[in-house]
Amino acid sequence: MTKRVNTTKMAQFGSDAFAAKSFWHNGPAPGASYNFPNMRSSSGEEEMQRSQTPITTGTSVLGLKFDNGVIICADTLGSYGSLARFRDCQRVMKVNNNIAVGVGGDYADFQYLKRVIDQKIMDEHIADDGFALKPKALYTWLTRVMYNRRNKFDPLWNNYVVGGMQEGVPFLGAVDLRGMAYQDRHIATGYGSYIALPLLRDAADKNPNMSLQQAKEIMEKCLEVLYYRDARSFPKYQMAIVTAEGVTVSDVLEVKSNWEVAHMISGF
Amino acid sequence: MAMTEGANRYLPDYSSHPVQHHFSPYSDNGGSIVSIAGDDFVVIGSDTRLSSGFSIHTREQSKLFQVSNSTVLGSTGCWCDTLTLTRLVEARMKMYEHSHNKVMSTPAIAQMLSTMMYYKRFFPYYVSNVLAGLDTEGKGCVFSYDPIGHFSRSDYRAGGSAGALLQPLLDNQIGLKNQEGVTAAPIPLKRAVAILKDVFISAAERDIYTGDGIEIKIITKDGVRTESFGLRKD
Amino acid sequence: MSILTYNGGAIVAMKGDNCVAIASDLRFGVQAQTLALDFEKVFPMGPHLYLGLPGLATDTLTVRDRLKFRLNLYELRESRKIHPKTFSALVSNMLYERRFGPYFVEPVIAGLDPVTFEPYVCNMDLIGCINEPEDFVVAGSCTEQLYGMCEALWEPNLKPDDLFETCSQAIVNAFDRDAVSGWGAIVHIIEKDKITSRKIKTRMD
Repeated sequence: MTKRVNTTKMAQFGSDAFAAKSFWHNGPAPGASYNFPNMRSSSGEEEMQRSQTPITTGTSVLGLKFDNGVIICADTLGSYGSLARFRDCQRVMKVNNNIAVGVGGDYADFQYLKRVIDQKIMDEHIADDGFALKPKALYTWLTRVMYNRRNKFDPLWNNYVVGGMQEGVPFLGAVDLRGMAYQDRHIATGYGSYIALPLLRDAADKNPNMSLQQAKEIMEKCLEVLYYRDARSFPKYQMAIVTAEGVTVSDVLEVKSNWEVAHMISGF
Repeated sequence: MAMTEGANRYLPDYSSHPVQHHFSPYSDNGGSIVSIAGDDFVVIGSDTRLSSGFSIHTREQSKLFQVSNSTVLGSTGCWCDTLTLTRLVEARMKMYEHSHNKVMSTPAIAQMLSTMMYYKRFFPYYVSNVLAGLDTEGKGCVFSYDPIGHFSRSDYRAGGSAGALLQPLLDNQIGLKNQEGVTAAPIPLKRAVAILKDVFISAAERDIYTGDGIEIKIITKDGVRTESFGLRKD
Repeated sequence: MSILTYNGGAIVAMKGDNCVAIASDLRFGVQAQTLALDFEKVFPMGPHLYLGLPGLATDTLTVRDRLKFRLNLYELRESRKIHPKTFSALVSNMLYERRFGPYFVEPVIAGLDPVTFEPYVCNMDLIGCINEPEDFVVAGSCTEQLYGMCEALWEPNLKPDDLFETCSQAIVNAFDRDAVSGWGAIVHIIEKDKITSRKIKTRMD
């Protein structure tokens, strides 16, 4: 979304009779809001702010295929820089009966795109033609949305992990903020690509046909390790499981952590 | 002024130049392509690693796109541009087929690809393309591109992140450059495939963006056959 | 354009069976303009010791002379020939003395140990970080091409004649794909009892 910087027209009143007096020279003009000192003063021209920076962010998203389905996990923390600000930002989403999506990066951009996706699903319900969006279709659509936004130098600052069942076969794919996309048996974004991805690869190599239970255990281990080592992570998380039976997104679960080694530390 | 400067010193949150995450629309996702043409065949191979920086996204990403029964496009570089470009090529292939009731020839695809790349001259697709196929006479041909659509036909080409490592080797082994007492003979398919594997093994030793495996497509008058081959994964 | 590729140049050194090879191109130019075709970048530093100095041509000559001076002092003081490994330490030290205002050369050293006649090759960056592999080293403005060639052509225990062929093919094909190096090459094969230096005819464009 192109955000318009609110360069207040009001500042033009700076020289007229209604203007603030000198001791109040940085104060708001009548009807205007406060001008912070040293902010770029408004010239009357409207400015466009293009590539924004992520504000409230979610960290890693994990995805893993097992023998007859897909798991997607993400914790529920919305970080505000280094501040652990929102503790219940759910970023694992059920799209329909055969797709789940996990999201990392800017939470506002996710909320925007979630509305668009939800509307797509609603349109499909209204059509009531027996067709349902398939995971590969959503994945490809996401690459187009992300790519078009990067072409405008105004990206949606997100990583999307799409999981689902297509023609009875598990699907797992990732899309980043430039529209770069790939499919794999295991996916981890953000910090998880350094910490969880090696664990997932190792597990999948040792056990190519893992069961749901085994996949769950590996995911829990990954989330635990991420909680220990990723400073922007959180012990509460959600897990979406997609099988031929449908999509289940868990309630908010808790990582079982063990801090015995940290003798001197308390309060976690 | 002094006052506002002072205020700025103690109130960094209000500074007029916010710290911005610089957004670059391009990323280098690595990958290499080699293609060798023979008299009645052409082989094209790419590695299967998709990476950015020091991270490997996936070890199983094909970079070869079959655009017709006798043409394969290999594309590496900025992966999101590759995805977009190859999808556009596929669409244009269908449009051509529907309006002319025939499949586009490899040289025609080569020209079209050049036009499509140059269309984005001032915001280019940041990709290295190698187009391999059989021409209208059934001879193998290889076309290679720069990111803004310049192209040339040749008998062999290396492109992508290990292009500079591999091209002189192909000059020597296939172009028989700087070799004395050899007579140029058409390269047999077996030897082309063997050289292709050898050069990728060499590239994987020194180029961190090339590795994991290679996918080879062998194009003959009978269609396209695929082979795969493992490379080092570190 | 980097200062290291201002004049162009390519060097490769390879180990063989009781022999080593070192080769350089012969071009001297300023960016795209070629000025001379007899600019050797490899210099003898002893009966079995050669030093290659690709990079900024003025520094090539300065570093060559200053190293020769230090080498003479070493040999006077020690009354014996220097070992290649010791010589690389000498080069490395001299380069690191200019850590924050370096000579723009990336040296390659090739030689045989004066006592055991063990083959030795090494290269270093412009501030003297030594790399001593057991196969080959490359330097100059077409290192990528050289790595590609060497990685495919080199094999262990090559005899002098085969080593000469491998080394020449590697450098010639590599610099043919580089605009700022080439225009002839010289290859030295260092053996226990002889040194063979051959100039190679190459394409001159």
